[in-house]
Amino acid sequence: MTVADAELIRIDGVAKRYRTASGVVDALGDVSLAVPEGQFCTIIGPSGCGKSTLLGMLAGLVGPDGGRVLIEGQPVTGPDPRRVATVFQDPGLFPWRTALENVEFGLELQGADRGRRRAVATELLGPLGLRGFAEKYPRELSGGMKQRVAIGRALAIDTKILLMDEPFGALDEQTRMLMGEWLLDIWRRTNKTVIFVTHSLHEALALSTRVVVMTARPGRIKSVLELPLGYPRAMESPELVTLRAKLWSEIRDESLRAMSES
Amino acid sequence: MTTSAFRLAILSGVLALWEIAARAGNPLLYVPPSAVLPSLVNLVALRSYPDLLEHVLLTAREIAVAYALAVAGGVGVGCALGGHRVLGRAYAPMLAALYAVPAVVWYPSLMLFFGLDAASKIAFGFLLGFFPITLAVLAGTRQVNPHLVTVARSFGASPLAVFAKVLLPGMLFTLVGGLRTGLALAVIGVIVGEVLGAKAGMGTLINHAYGLFRTADYVALVLVTLVLIVTSDVLASLVERRARRWTT
Ligand SMILES: Nc1ncnc2c1ncn2[C@@H]1O[C@H](COP(=O)(O)OP(=O)(O)OP(=O)(O)O)[C@@H](O)[C@H]1O
Ligand SMILES: [Mg+2]
Repeated sequence: MTVADAELIRIDGVAKRYRTASGVVDALGDVSLAVPEGQFCTIIGPSGCGKSTLLGMLAGLVGPDGGRVLIEGQPVTGPDPRRVATVFQDPGLFPWRTALENVEFGLELQGADRGRRRAVATELLGPLGLRGFAEKYPRELSGGMKQRVAIGRALAIDTKILLMDEPFGALDEQTRMLMGEWLLDIWRRTNKTVIFVTHSLHEALALSTRVVVMTARPGRIKSVLELPLGYPRAMESPELVTLRAKLWSEIRDESLRAMSES
Repeated sequence: MTTSAFRLAILSGVLALWEIAARAGNPLLYVPPSAVLPSLVNLVALRSYPDLLEHVLLTAREIAVAYALAVAGGVGVGCALGGHRVLGRAYAPMLAALYAVPAVVWYPSLMLFFGLDAASKIAFGFLLGFFPITLAVLAGTRQVNPHLVTVARSFGASPLAVFAKVLLPGMLFTLVGGLRTGLALAVIGVIVGEVLGAKAGMGTLINHAYGLFRTADYVALVLVTLVLIVTSDVLASLVERRARRWTT
């Protein structure tokens, strides 16, 4: 493997400051991170530390104030749906489209014909547990179902990079674990690179090849934990119990700081 | 009692009162329904005004052109003001203020500018229809959840695709209401324009009959015009109902 393929994503000293009518917020301060192809990289950190902002930069939706973001060596200048698909924290389904039509959205923009769109979307709905809900509109779906439709919409365009901002945040714990297993399965079969944001230690440890811990706002990278372990992971194994304690102590300090500042 | 029976009862009541009241007054100014009926028959049979159809068609054509221009202008300007924050902040309040001015005050200058023919009627119908459509589009663009625009952009939507696939369906509900009001006002604009001064069209006939004290003909002409207006509104309401069912 050459150095160039090793680094699918390179984030180089990016920062972001939001200026609003009510004042200035330093969301991200000097973040650098390189992600090789095929990683399942989880970002974890206190609320408001800039995780969604960082994903927005990778998606080409948020311009960094400093530094640069490279994908396959090219600077990101705008959305690139051929390489990057995003599952947003707020699912953002189109209310006038059925579940199936929402999943078809990206393919429709790419000009795929109706038959292929239908086929791809229908095949995705099954494992998402939405088989009987294809014709339902978002308002007829539960919060967790909406989030799963949003996951289907991102998977439908089959990109190399999948950005997921708390995709299972609205799900109950059992569904969450099942969806995690399903996502792992897809990831392992397709060699996608997943950048995954979560607040769940369990999810981070069960799924990731690498966990990036961020500091309280302005978000910086506090530490990076490599998890060169196989799947499925026995969460009660001494190794994972130790890792969990370590991760918790890192995050605990930052969460305390974030809470005392806000 | 069913609704239609109820309506019929009210209608007969009104006609009866009208008949009684009109017979008591000056027959030149007050026409009873019994006198209108023969006039209406003469009118529809093309006896009193043989060229009625031409006038109806002219008025309908003026309305169609005025409305088409109002829709195009209203959607264009509304999207520009709604999509562009600075433009919107600068001009939206002005637009609302202009809408509040009674539009008839513009009519003399439109006649000076466009003459006595169809152009000034079209301009007046456009002017009246344009404002509610623009304001509805403006309100509509503000109603669309901006997050959905972000989502669409992340999937590679061009500005045109954002308009067609997010803004338009997102504001359809508000838009159809504005389109319907716009139609009603465009119709009023054209007909009022004709009444105030024109060489042809329903408004001219109305003015003519009224001026000659042919009161029964005048009422009959108004009734025909009313049918024209009600038909357009019924069509618009059908479209509106369909659109609402589709979006909600
Ligand atoms: N468009 C924006 N305009 C102004 N401020 C913003 C904007 N987006 C985010 N912020 C601010 O930037 C900071 C980081 O926000 P961000 O959404 O990236 O955090 P996060 O880590 O994803 O939080 P959470 O875990 O709660 O989702 C927050 O303080 C937020 O208020
Ligand atoms: Mg977030």
